[in-house]
Amino acid sequence: MPAIKKVALLVTISVILYSLFSFLASGLQFKILSFNNVNILSDIFFTPDSNKLETAVTDSSAVFIQTDSILVKGEKSFSNYKFPTLITSFQQDTTMPSLLHLDAKLLALKQGKRTKIRIAYLGDSMIEGDLLTKKLRELLQAMFGGCGVGFVPVTPNVAKFRTTVSDDNSSNWRDENFKNATEEAKKTLFFSGRTYYSNNSWTIIKDLTIKDSALIEKSLICGATSGSSINYNDHGLIIHAPDKLNRILLSGDYSNQAKLVVNDNVLPVYGVSFEAPTGIYVDNFSFRGITGVEINSIDTSFLKNIDQHNPYDVIILGYGVNLLYKPNDKNFTWYRQLFNPVLDKLKKCFPNSDIIVVSTADRAFRYNGEYKSAIGIDSLVRLQARLAFNNSLCFYNQFATMGGQNSIVKWAQKTPALASKDYIHPNERGARTLAVHFYNAILNDYNKYIAAINDSSKTN
Amino acid sequence: MPSFDVHAFFNQFLYDPKNPLLFNNGFFVFFFAIFIALYYRCRNNYVLRRYIFCFFSLYFFYKASGAFVVFVIISAIVDFVLSNLIGKSEKKGRKKFLLILSIVFNLGLLCYFKYTNFFIRTSNELFHTGFNPLNILLPVGISFYTFENLSYTIDVYRGNFKPVKKFSEYLLFLSFFPKLVMGPIVRAHDFIPQINKPYNISDSDFSKGFYLIISGLFKKLVISDYITLNFVNYIFDNPSLHTGLECLFAVYGYAIIIYCDFSGYSDVAIGIAKWMGFTIPPNFLSPYQSKNITEFWRRWHISLSSWLRDYLYIPLGGNRKGELRMYVNLMITMLLGGLWHGASWNFVLWGGMHGVALALHKLYKTKGGRLLDSEKYKHFTNAISIFITFNFVCFCWIFFKSESFESAGQMIYQITHDFDAAAWPAFFNNYKTVLGMMLMAVLIHAIPDNFADKVVERFKLAPLPVYIIIFFVFVLVYGYFKAAEPVMPIYLQF
Repeated sequence: MPAIKKVALLVTISVILYSLFSFLASGLQFKILSFNNVNILSDIFFTPDSNKLETAVTDSSAVFIQTDSILVKGEKSFSNYKFPTLITSFQQDTTMPSLLHLDAKLLALKQGKRTKIRIAYLGDSMIEGDLLTKKLRELLQAMFGGCGVGFVPVTPNVAKFRTTVSDDNSSNWRDENFKNATEEAKKTLFFSGRTYYSNNSWTIIKDLTIKDSALIEKSLICGATSGSSINYNDHGLIIHAPDKLNRILLSGDYSNQAKLVVNDNVLPVYGVSFEAPTGIYVDNFSFRGITGVEINSIDTSFLKNIDQHNPYDVIILGYGVNLLYKPNDKNFTWYRQLFNPVLDKLKKCFPNSDIIVVSTADRAFRYNGEYKSAIGIDSLVRLQARLAFNNSLCFYNQFATMGGQNSIVKWAQKTPALASKDYIHPNERGARTLAVHFYNAILNDYNKYIAAINDSSKTN
Repeated sequence: MPSFDVHAFFNQFLYDPKNPLLFNNGFFVFFFAIFIALYYRCRNNYVLRRYIFCFFSLYFFYKASGAFVVFVIISAIVDFVLSNLIGKSEKKGRKKFLLILSIVFNLGLLCYFKYTNFFIRTSNELFHTGFNPLNILLPVGISFYTFENLSYTIDVYRGNFKPVKKFSEYLLFLSFFPKLVMGPIVRAHDFIPQINKPYNISDSDFSKGFYLIISGLFKKLVISDYITLNFVNYIFDNPSLHTGLECLFAVYGYAIIIYCDFSGYSDVAIGIAKWMGFTIPPNFLSPYQSKNITEFWRRWHISLSSWLRDYLYIPLGGNRKGELRMYVNLMITMLLGGLWHGASWNFVLWGGMHGVALALHKLYKTKGGRLLDSEKYKHFTNAISIFITFNFVCFCWIFFKSESFESAGQMIYQITHDFDAAAWPAFFNNYKTVLGMMLMAVLIHAIPDNFADKVVERFKLAPLPVYIIIFFVFVLVYGYFKAAEPVMPIYLQF
C-alpha cells in the first residue's frame, strides 16, 4: 500500500473509531477506561441521565435552603450566612449590629477615650505573611487610631515575605508548636501555636509599620517564671511572671525595635508586642496547614490567662481551606465534632469578646482538566456557618465575599492576578481586596450600631 | 439515548475565544480527517489541492484566533506584491525602498500588537508619563509569520530567491496550518519549491511522521501539561511559600516543560508536514545535551536562532567588522532575540544573559581556552560541561518564567537561603508522579536521534492496526493524566 494511502486510511479509521468510542462513552455511558476525559463528542451530545442527576442535586439543596430559612427563635435567620461582605450574628433584621462589644469600644475610641482594642486574627496559610491583616490593620488604625504591628512571634517564620516586620535571630531557639509539641506542652501554646525556648538565644524584631516617630510600648509575651534574666535592647532585666501567660512591658519609647536575649532556658517565650498606648491592633496568628481544631489542646486556664493579661475584643477564626484537601470530599461532619468544642471553649474563656467564624475562601481543583471550585465548598461553608449559629457567634462568609463559585479561578486568571496559580491562596493584591471587604463589614456594623443607639436615644 | 444538541453542533464551527483550536481539541481530530480525505482525493490537481490547503489553513487560523486571520491575509497580500515589485525592479534604490517598506510594515504590525503596552509601561515607569495601556490582544502566531515574511522579502531583495508568481503559493507558505501557531519558522526557499511536487511519501516518512506526531503530543499534552499544572505553576507563582528544594526542582521542571512544550509542538508540526509531503528541518536537537552555550544555541529552537543569525547578526556586520563589533552585534542579536519571546524586560535580561555567555565562550575559545577538552577523560569532562551548561540555561529560565524580577529574586533566594533538604521525604512522597514525569522527559531527551530513526525504520512496515492501537493507547494515557487527581503543594501537609 502506498504510504499516502496509509496516512489517509490511518487517520480515517482512527477518527471513525474515536467517534464511536466517544459516542459509546458519552451517549451510552459506557466506561471505557479513561476515555470519558478525552471524549471528542462531549460538546455536542448531552446525556439525559446526567442532566437528571444535576437537577436532583439542585433540588436537594433547594430543600435545604427552605428548612434553613425557617426563622429560629423567632428572630434569627440562619440563611444570613449566605450574604457576602456581612458580619452577621444571624439576626433576621440585618440593620441591627452584630459586634456589640467591638462597636461600643470603637465608639469610645472615636470619642477620644483612652482605650485599646485588640483583635486576634487566627488562621492558616491564608493569612500568612500578614498580607490580609496588614491591610486590615492599616485601615482600622487610619480610622480609629493606633500605631504598631501588634504581636510578633520570636521568629516570624515566613518573614521573607512578611513586609510588616523584619527580624534577625539566632538559630538555636527551640520551637514547640501545634505539630511537634507533646500533649502537655500543647496546653500552653499561645494563639500563635508556638512556644519558644531559649538556649542563650537572641532575636531582633523591627516593626516596619511605624512610619513616623511614635511612642511604642514593647511588651514581652511569655509564660510563668519566678525570676528570669533577660537582656532587652542591651539592658539586663530580671522578670517575674506569676501566670501561665503574661504581658510584661519592656519599654515605652520611640524605638521600633526590640532586641531580646533570653538567658533562661526554661522560660516559655511567645513573642513581642508592639502597640501604642491607645488605638486598635490586629494580631496575626497564622499557622500553616491547620484547621483550627488544634486550639482545643490549649488549656482552659491558659486561655483565661490570655483573657486576663492580653485581652482580645475580637477573636477571628479563619480556617477551612485545609479541610478541602481532596477534590471529591463533601462530608465534613467530623469537623463539626472537633471544632464545636473549640468554639465552646473560646466562648467560655473569652466571655467579653466578639468571636467571628470566617468561612473558607474559595479554592479550586481540576475536575476533568478544568479548574472549578471544590465540590464540597458549599457544604463546608454551610457547616462553618452552622457551627457559628449553634454557638451564638458571628459569621462572615469569605467565600461569598470573593464572588462565590469559581471566584478563585477568576482571581488567579485575572490580569493582574488576585490569586496564586495553586488556586488556593489570594496573592498580596487579593489579600488586600479581602481585607478591604472585611474592614467595610466591620465599619458597616459600627455604623449600624451608631444608628441603633441614635434611634434608641430618640425614642427615649 | 444521548440527545444531539444542534445549536452546540453549529457553534463548533465558529471561533470560541475560550476554547481556541489547538492540536489537542476534539474539533481538530475531525478537521484533520476531513482535510486529509480531501487532500488525498485531490492530490493530483495541484491548483485545487493548494486551494484546499489554503482554505483549511486559514480556517484553522480563524478557529485559533478569530478575526485576526485577516492580518495573515493582509500581510500575505502586502508581501506578495512588494516582493514581486522588488523582483521586477532594476534600480537598487527602488529595491531598497520597497524592502524598507516591507520591513516597516511587518515590524510595525508586530510592534503595535506585541510591544505597544510594553513601551507605554516602560515610559510610564521611566518618565512618569501616565499613559493608559491600550486594550490590545496579541494575534496568535504573529511573531512567527512576521519573521517568515521578513526572511522572504529579504531573500528576494538579496536575489537569493525568485518571488513566487502565484498568490496562493505565498499564502500557503505563510498560513500552512501545522506551523502557524507556534512555528517552526519556515524559510520560503525551503518550503515553496515543495508546494507543487507530486504528493508522494515513503514508508519511512509515514512512520517517522507518526512517531513525531505521537511523541510530540505526548511531550506537550502528557508530560508538559502535567508538570505545569501539578507543580511548576504554583511554585513559580509564589516562590516564597515553598522550600528551596521545591524551587530548585521547579526550575528544572520548567526547563523540561519549555522543552517539551516547544519541541513537542514543533514535532507535531513537522510530523503533519511530513505526512503531507513537506519536509521541515528539525527545530530542536536534544538541546540540554549541549556541552557549551554556543552548542546550545545550535540545538535550541534552531529555526529562530538561524533566522536571527541570517537576518540580524550577519546584516549587522556579524564577525566581519572587527572583534569589538562582533561582540556588540552578538549582544544586540541576543537582546532583541530575548524581546522577541515576549514584551517584558525579563525576556530582554534573559537574552542578555545568553548573549554575555555566548560572548564569553567565544572569547574563551579565541584565546585558546581548552579546559574540559581533555580526550583522555572525555566522558568525565563532557559530563561536567553538560552539567554546567544545563544549569546555566536553567538559571536563565528563572528570569524567563518569572512574572517579575522580584519574583525571580525570591526564587533564587529560596534556593540559596531556604533550601531545607530535610523536606526531601515529604517532597518525594508528594511529588512521586511529577518526579516520574520529569525522569521520563529526561529519558526521552536522552534518546539519540539515530536510535529513534532506527526504531522508526523498523516500524515502517508494521501493519496499520499496530499504528491504530498505539494511537489509542496514547489517547487513553492522555485521558488518564488529564483527569488525574491533582498534586498539591507540600506545605499544605505540614
